[in-house]
Amino acid sequence: MGLYEKASEEFDFWRVRVREASYAELDQISRERGLSLSAREMKLLQEYYKKIGRDATDVELEAIAQTWSEHCGHKTFKGSFALVERDERGREKKSKVDNLFKTYIARATRELALPWCYSVFEDNAGIVDFDGDNALAFKVETHNHPSALEPFGGAATGVGGVIRDVLGVWADPIANTDVLCFGPLDLPEQRVPSGVKHPRFLYNGVVAGIACYGNNMGIPTVNGAIFFHENYTGNPLVYCGTLGLLKKSAYKHEAAAGDALVLVGGRTGRDGIHGVTFASAGLHEKSEETSRTAVQIGDPIEEEKVKRGILQVRDAGLANAITDLGGGGLSSAVAETAERYSCGVRVDLSLVPQKYPLKTPWEIWVSESQERMLLAVPQRNVEAVKKIFEDELVLATVVGELTAERNLRLFYKNVAVADIDMNFLFTQPTTAKGAVLAKTKPNPLSFNEPASPQEYGVILKKILSSPNVCSKESVVRRYDHEVKGSTTIKPFQGASNEGPGDAAVIRPLRDSWKGAALSNGFNSLFASDAYKMAASAIDEAIRNNVCVGGRRWALLDNFSWGNPNDERQAGGLVAASRACYDYALAFRAPFISGKDSLHNECNGVAIPQTLLVSALGIVPDVRKAITMDAKKTGNYLYIVGETKLELGGSHYCAALDASEAGVIPGVDGARAATLYEAVLRAMDAGLVRSCHDCSEGGMAVAAAEMGFAGGLGVEIDLTQVPRAADVKRNDFVLFSESNSRLLIEVEPDKAKEFEASLKGITFGRIGVFTQNPDFVVKVFDGTEILRENVFELKRVWQKPLKR
Amino acid sequence: MKKSDVRVCIVRAPGTNCDAETLDGVIAAGGTGEIVHFNRLHGGSRKLEDYDALIFPGGFSYGDEIRSGVIWARKFLGLLGDDLKKFVDAEKPVLGVCNGMQVIVESGLLPGLRGASEAPEACMASNASARYECRWIFLKKTGDCLFTEKYAQGEVVEMPVGHAEGKFTLEPGREQKILDELEANKQIVFRYCRADGALARGEYPLSPNASLDDVAGVSNPSGTVFALMPHPDRSCFGWQRRDWTRTGKVDGEGDGLRIFKGLVDYCAKKF
Amino acid sequence: MRFEVRVSFKPGVLDAEGNAALDALKSLGFKASGVATAKVYYIETAEPQARVEEMCRKLLANPIIQDYRISKV
Repeated sequence: MGLYEKASEEFDFWRVRVREASYAELDQISRERGLSLSAREMKLLQEYYKKIGRDATDVELEAIAQTWSEHCGHKTFKGSFALVERDERGREKKSKVDNLFKTYIARATRELALPWCYSVFEDNAGIVDFDGDNALAFKVETHNHPSALEPFGGAATGVGGVIRDVLGVWADPIANTDVLCFGPLDLPEQRVPSGVKHPRFLYNGVVAGIACYGNNMGIPTVNGAIFFHENYTGNPLVYCGTLGLLKKSAYKHEAAAGDALVLVGGRTGRDGIHGVTFASAGLHEKSEETSRTAVQIGDPIEEEKVKRGILQVRDAGLANAITDLGGGGLSSAVAETAERYSCGVRVDLSLVPQKYPLKTPWEIWVSESQERMLLAVPQRNVEAVKKIFEDELVLATVVGELTAERNLRLFYKNVAVADIDMNFLFTQPTTAKGAVLAKTKPNPLSFNEPASPQEYGVILKKILSSPNVCSKESVVRRYDHEVKGSTTIKPFQGASNEGPGDAAVIRPLRDSWKGAALSNGFNSLFASDAYKMAASAIDEAIRNNVCVGGRRWALLDNFSWGNPNDERQAGGLVAASRACYDYALAFRAPFISGKDSLHNECNGVAIPQTLLVSALGIVPDVRKAITMDAKKTGNYLYIVGETKLELGGSHYCAALDASEAGVIPGVDGARAATLYEAVLRAMDAGLVRSCHDCSEGGMAVAAAEMGFAGGLGVEIDLTQVPRAADVKRNDFVLFSESNSRLLIEVEPDKAKEFEASLKGITFGRIGVFTQNPDFVVKVFDGTEILRENVFELKRVWQKPLKR
Repeated sequence: MKKSDVRVCIVRAPGTNCDAETLDGVIAAGGTGEIVHFNRLHGGSRKLEDYDALIFPGGFSYGDEIRSGVIWARKFLGLLGDDLKKFVDAEKPVLGVCNGMQVIVESGLLPGLRGASEAPEACMASNASARYECRWIFLKKTGDCLFTEKYAQGEVVEMPVGHAEGKFTLEPGREQKILDELEANKQIVFRYCRADGALARGEYPLSPNASLDDVAGVSNPSGTVFALMPHPDRSCFGWQRRDWTRTGKVDGEGDGLRIFKGLVDYCAKKF
Repeated sequence: MRFEVRVSFKPGVLDAEGNAALDALKSLGFKASGVATAKVYYIETAEPQARVEEMCRKLLANPIIQDYRISKV
């Protein structure tokens, strides 16, 4: 007798003999059906079917595999780690960490218990208060694996998916953000692994996909970043984020047994079958052939119509609950809705509108066709809801209802194809993994200081024109960042709109001057120390937010990691999660939502451990927001924060082919928090004309950018830069990438007041903006160690990605 | 009528996405407006004739398939052609912004040298960069129509553009002849230019699309139908300006608002 | 009946997408001297060819910049 038995003559439906299967056969079932379930999980499943006294159906196996997948269940983050910490001398300390999410990320939020956190870790997007009546919803998602195979479709549906996350909390999507990581654009063909597409192809496709979806839906893409590293070649990262606005009174999540489940939006096809189980495994040479169906096609106009309908249903209060269809399709949306409201559910799969006749019920259940949302609607409102969608030319179909009985029951052509106990379905197995955290001694900085202003100039230009520092304007202008007319602080700033802004400010309501500031922080060149990498990402996201006047930060974490079964990868996860806890507390900036994408590797090469932190801040009055461009000749330039001997992972070291040298920058959370508070006070007092963050390339790059953005020169006296005692060289001062530092422009007649407002904070008045368009750096005896024309620096900075 | 009685129909189709900010502009100009789905205007609950002005806002109507704006243009003519003709004949203002300009040009309403034409007389072709371009540009008033009476002749203003198909194109070989006629009629209302008012002469990115003769906005000969690629709806207020942190002009008007004021004032005077 | 309608740019009209493709091909090391794009529609209809012509004039092609060619397939 085989493992599978045909269970219907009419359609494609099978019974799977799990009860009597051997270990090897259970493993065979998991592999053959692409379930991505472990031996332990298959065993758990077998025990359930033994207990209920029958075999499984193929639909049930698929439903369970979706719910238990890494993508939906986050079993690694919720699992345990046997941690071994090894110091520089090889001494070991052993401990056990249970549930990274609860122990670190959510714990910080809970301990902070900030009253403005409206709904955190509940829905697919976190929600914070905006102005009492209104709230902001924020979410950033990854869409890495689909984008590796089909960059345009993968990225477009990544945007479409995160917009639905925000619609799924009844919020109107008002701004997008995106962060992209690729292999080097000039990578020689022979260095591109077999089965992998060239970074330039991926880059072009991903950018076009993001532009297409956001622009077509009329949601401004206001902020983001692009980063290049060879280890992203086989596995690019595509982070898509959306900010939404909702009235708190319209946030309705109170479904109950008897409510109709209304599926709205696009028809269901074979798109994206097994997307979540695909996302929960690594990429390999044959991924393209085996996973083509895991990539979806997007239709932004459909989603735009769906959005219009949902906002009308919301405003009329016609539905009790809403959720989006993303990874896992109907399976996740329906099961999670039922679970959330302690219900069971009954769905007739033959009622689901199909693109073409689908004769396989499990495919309808797990399909990830795009632009679909699920509403729980009281029966009396069903007709009114259908009318709204009909007027928007959108399909809305009752496919089932919530039940009091706690079972998931699925039918297809009047045949019961699944009946699973909800309690079993949501008894999610977690994992137990080993983790190693080993401290290593930093390599010494063994290169010499540049010997002449010419040499300094060459290096500054090399950094400005390096892929991770150079202007991304040619990409950003393909994203509509002005639609909706709310973008008050724009991505490009200055005299001729060419300076790189630190954060965007949106003014979402016409009757309030309050604004929302969006920023991101990440630097995977710091990945050799996951704790500091995460700390730096948090500091940078907040620092960028401060630059425009943002405060009261809510954070999102987005982990993109390699295979968590590798002890060092797992160790990095633990370290980064610890940093999330420590710095969320230090900055009083809670995490409100997040995402983890694991198994980001290709043919065994893992990506750099990457934590993207996105910050959402509040600007009390957008008319006081600040930009980064130098405003006026004669104004002073200040640096706030201390420069330390932290050149590990710096662009300076990279420019000198010494990437492995130096100490990775850390963050003194308490000092940084005090510093940012002081800067914000100075901004509120009207003392700050411009503010720019020191990050990639250090203060040299930041000062040059401020100058050329404003069309002004800048003259710096390097001796005035406050530094740690061990920073003894000029090049280290100029190019150290120490965190928590800002450059600030102040008018001379406000200098005294400004300095008084920074009492107790480390700062230095380091220079002045000049009509003469030269970037000049002098040292103690007035010797010039650098002199470059700012327009030439701008040209060099703009050239690499000009087209 | 009073300004506040001026009723503007901001029509939308699937994919229209600038209707809300367009309504903001109409309201800031003193009028009242309503966002109306195109399907409500034909065989539905609303009648075009009940409105004093019509605006086709920006977006991607029907996904901009086939050519930007053409599907909506042809559907509009097919289902509401007579109503639209009456509307235009009554000299009620019709404004198209961005996708709205693409719709109006594809509908044959503009440039409308011999009245509305059956086949389009112009085309909004792909930008020379072959890309979507979102940026602020300088515009010079070089013509006139009812929407632009509040701008001085030759005045330079700033608005953002956001489009991939904005290259105004005329029939090859006859361009100069048609341009001369448009120029004589003052129909080329806005041209892309430099900050000092010198014309862009197709130079990127001053002209984001390499439009023929720097054309950014055109009207019909009588000036009651007007369309432009730049977005007045995104430049109605000081805080929307690209450089308000430099100039401090955060509380005042944006340069685009006067287009809506022109529309509302015209209606208030005429009807 | 199935018609193939091919819509292409008139000679002399800028083919931005074609130029972009040419540029990209060259950057990938291919030798090419020109790329032109065209759109092809396959139309299932019982209408005569004259009506298909009308479809082109009314919707599928803008005569200012585009030519079209109809063939039965």
